[in-house]
Amino acid sequence: MNIATDPMHQFKIDRWVDFRIGDLDLSFTNSAFWMVVGVLLLIGFLAVATSKMKTVPTRMQSLAEIWYQFIAGIVKDVNHAPGKPFIPLVFTLFSFIFIANIVGMMPYWFTTTSHIAVTGFMAIFTIGLVVIVGIMKKGFGFLKIFVPSGVPFVLLLIVTPIEIISFLSRPISLGMRLFANMLGGHVALKVFAGFIPSLAVALGGVGMLMGGLLVMPLIVGVTALEFLVTFLQAYVFAMLTCVYLNDALGEAH
Amino acid sequence: MEHEAAEAGHAAGSGFPPFDQIGDFGVSQIFWLVLTFGVLYFAVASVFLPRIRKAVEDRDGAIKADVAKAAALSSAADASVKQFEAQIAEARARARDTASKAKAESDARTSAETTKVEAALNARLAAAEARINETRAKAMTNVSAVAEDAAAAIAERLTGAKPAADAVKKAVAGALGA
Repeated sequence: MNIATDPMHQFKIDRWVDFRIGDLDLSFTNSAFWMVVGVLLLIGFLAVATSKMKTVPTRMQSLAEIWYQFIAGIVKDVNHAPGKPFIPLVFTLFSFIFIANIVGMMPYWFTTTSHIAVTGFMAIFTIGLVVIVGIMKKGFGFLKIFVPSGVPFVLLLIVTPIEIISFLSRPISLGMRLFANMLGGHVALKVFAGFIPSLAVALGGVGMLMGGLLVMPLIVGVTALEFLVTFLQAYVFAMLTCVYLNDALGEAH
Repeated sequence: MEHEAAEAGHAAGSGFPPFDQIGDFGVSQIFWLVLTFGVLYFAVASVFLPRIRKAVEDRDGAIKADVAKAAALSSAADASVKQFEAQIAEARARARDTASKAKAESDARTSAETTKVEAALNARLAAAEARINETRAKAMTNVSAVAEDAAAAIAERLTGAKPAADAVKKAVAGALGA
């Protein structure tokens, strides 16, 4: 399979600069490069948008404020007052995932969130943070999230293991959801796009016509859908982070 | 770049990079993720969010201050309207007061003048009456003298004897009933 038709080639990581510390391979790769690009884009935008804050905002400043208030609104709705220290984290998580997804939508640009190593680590980090914050705030009382109140003891024998399994499956589902969405969307785009040359090769001019008239609108639609997904997945990740944080911050339920 | 050659062989047909390459690049991906995410987090937490939050709070504060100022101005306007109304009411009361005072004064003056005039009239009336009485008394004495003369003359003509002056006087006085 060559690059033109191989749907998986776009996810391949290339080592650009070899860099090791001891046994650890910390090489600068295309993945690392696009992470840096995404973060620089974000910092660049925020730096310009917030350079001269005015009471009557400019368009850029207004965008930055809407962006901030969107995230602060989620945290406030889900976590209420105790969530306030986590606004920067949720803001960074949302922004990082969103810009990575958007960068991935550009032709030839690498999608860093299409790798389970990245999304899985973010998910484990999030759940780990929930556990640490929970234990810091509630001590052993944090374990009460596995024991729903008002449930008879006999049922607890069944419910508690289920709660534990559901808690442990959170990082898996959180990381897997983002990774699978980005990977699946990009594969679908590539496969649909590949139909056009395949049809052209198989059917000649008729195939080209069919590709242009039938497949191209489909690709346009799927691309639009993928842009929606880039936002939606970042939103879902941020939202779920808040919901899970609530176990550590809120009252037992 | 001997790695590239190795990887080219390793990744022939690409396979499924997210799982195939996790052994080779997993650590590198996580390292760069932590690095870039950390840089972004510190930039956001220490510079950008405080700036945005300050702008939002400043705006809320400005709006609140403006609303408070407007409320203060409006209540000041209300107060001055009330003061104005009070002034009008006071002026009106004063006007009413002045009018009634003037009326009372003129009434008093009128009645004083009336009494004075009445007193003068009464005095003149009394003087006139006195004069009339005097005149009448004088007239009466004249009347009795005339009557005595007449009575004496009548009695002389009837009896032929001249009556005594005293008796005539007495009889006339009795007849006049004075």
